[in-house]
Amino acid sequence: MHIVICAKQVIDPDGVNSYALWGQLEVDESGRAFSTELPLIINAYDDQAIEAALRLRDDGHDVTITALSAGGEDVNQLLRHCKAMGCDEIVRVDDPDGPPDAFRTARLLAAAIRDLGDVDLVLCGRQSSDYDQGTTPAALAEMLGYAYVTVAFDVRVEGERLRIKRATPLGEEQVLASMPTVVTISNELGIPRYPTGRGMIAARRHPATVKTLEELGVEDGDGAELLELYIHEVAGECEFIEGDDPAAQAAALLGKLEAEGVL
Amino acid sequence: MSGIIAIISQPPAEGLTGGDLEALGGAAALAAQTGEPVLAAVIGHSVSDAVAEAGERGAERVYVADAEHLAAFSGDAVVDAAESAVAASEVSTVVIGRGTNTLEFAPRLGARLGGGCVMGVTEVRPDADGGFAVVASVYGGSARAVYRLAATPRVIGLSPGLAPAPDRDAGRSAEVVAVDAPASAEERVVVDQPAEATGPRLEEANVVVSGGRGLQRGDNFALIRELAANLGGMPGASRAIVDEGWAPSEEQVGLTGKIVSPDLYVAAGISGASQHMMGCSTSRVLVGINTDRDAPIFRYARYGINGDALEVLPELIRLTRERAGG
Repeated sequence: MHIVICAKQVIDPDGVNSYALWGQLEVDESGRAFSTELPLIINAYDDQAIEAALRLRDDGHDVTITALSAGGEDVNQLLRHCKAMGCDEIVRVDDPDGPPDAFRTARLLAAAIRDLGDVDLVLCGRQSSDYDQGTTPAALAEMLGYAYVTVAFDVRVEGERLRIKRATPLGEEQVLASMPTVVTISNELGIPRYPTGRGMIAARRHPATVKTLEELGVEDGDGAELLELYIHEVAGECEFIEGDDPAAQAAALLGKLEAEGVL
Repeated sequence: MSGIIAIISQPPAEGLTGGDLEALGGAAALAAQTGEPVLAAVIGHSVSDAVAEAGERGAERVYVADAEHLAAFSGDAVVDAAESAVAASEVSTVVIGRGTNTLEFAPRLGARLGGGCVMGVTEVRPDADGGFAVVASVYGGSARAVYRLAATPRVIGLSPGLAPAPDRDAGRSAEVVAVDAPASAEERVVVDQPAEATGPRLEEANVVVSGGRGLQRGDNFALIRELAANLGGMPGASRAIVDEGWAPSEEQVGLTGKIVSPDLYVAAGISGASQHMMGCSTSRVLVGINTDRDAPIFRYARYGINGDALEVLPELIRLTRERAGG
């Protein structure tokens, strides 16, 4: 069984969050990127997608796991992490200056997956923690003509099909899906394992296979064009409820809420 | 191509709600900017009431895919049916409200139609040449992005609260156009579904009391449930404690959970990471309880108690129980 993990390198969202809160986050002159220097990490949901693939191997299935990402050479660091986690092969679609358009990215990833041939399962994080759209995996499934299942937290092989538990807004749902399938992984899957020492050594000796857009025959198409990023203001007019002890504070708060007409 | 179409899939028998109404409202708001007609597509089985309501709420024409295999949601079938409705109506833009299954089909539809899709749209901005750009949050709400979907047909997934539901006027009715929706082989079959929620829904609660890591232990989530019950509201949770297993994921409030907008939102032991605030920042009165006076929650809160949630919650429970008991 051949599993492909699509992984994305993102600016650490916690870093962005902290800088934004303290008014230190700035947009550069292009208007489409932050000028603030922040660490790059693997999108946390994609790390969980790798974990989902490794659990299928733990279940005793004979799986080959290929990690796939698009970007410039800085993405090699992310792919080494994927290799160290336990992925067998790492592939980078060379696209150093690609715009952040989910539909363009899906075209690149779809071309790379077709190039790999014989893929049974594509695992993606449910969304990337930079743009939060969750559109790339859906577009990928559509372009490949694969079945599509979102927000999975448990993926098992059952004969020729997958039995998938989903975390829906109403609660757990189970679906059976034919393969090949694109499945997105949600945080309910749990905490991913750490790379082993042996994995890290193997990763250092294992360069990524690089594919160019020309080799893959990626075609132009339409999508969502990012025009600008901006930082919005948060109002901030909190009235702190003082009091001698929690009981007094609680009583004072309830008085305020009654006056507001919300109790 | 002209027209803005609101997609309504599997409408509830008792009338249109939440995301469906917002899709009609969003379509009307966009149409007002571009001068295009407002249309609707209703996808489901035995949906004549919803078709009539869409007309009474302003759709000029309603495209209907009514078939037995569309009674329950299936991403494959809904994308196919919506594609047929878009082909028949020749619209430029598809508008979809936030619902349980939106993420499962809206971006697929955008890819299928070729114009792409932006999800979680909080604002639509007209541009100089009669078109428009859309705004959505990025980095869990820390910043905003403006996008243009230049090609058509394109798909816009709305964030709750973008547009009010259009008023219902029994004097209006739409032209109804049947759309062919043949069943195809299902690539994915639901074998076990969560029970249809019968009680009150978190998204519609007037009061929500949420807990975060400041609760310190899973069993302290009982305090959240008790205070919520005393206030006639519902409990909510931060993603952090859902990941810890202290609360079920159905109770998660935030970007990847529920988006709520109650009259009163109490955040107890929640720091106020933007991920969480995306789910509650439009609440009318927000109360923060946190030991850290610099916690971000106090930037969003109307009232704050700088203290330990585990000390304040029992007092709130005691006082509200006395009130409830008269």
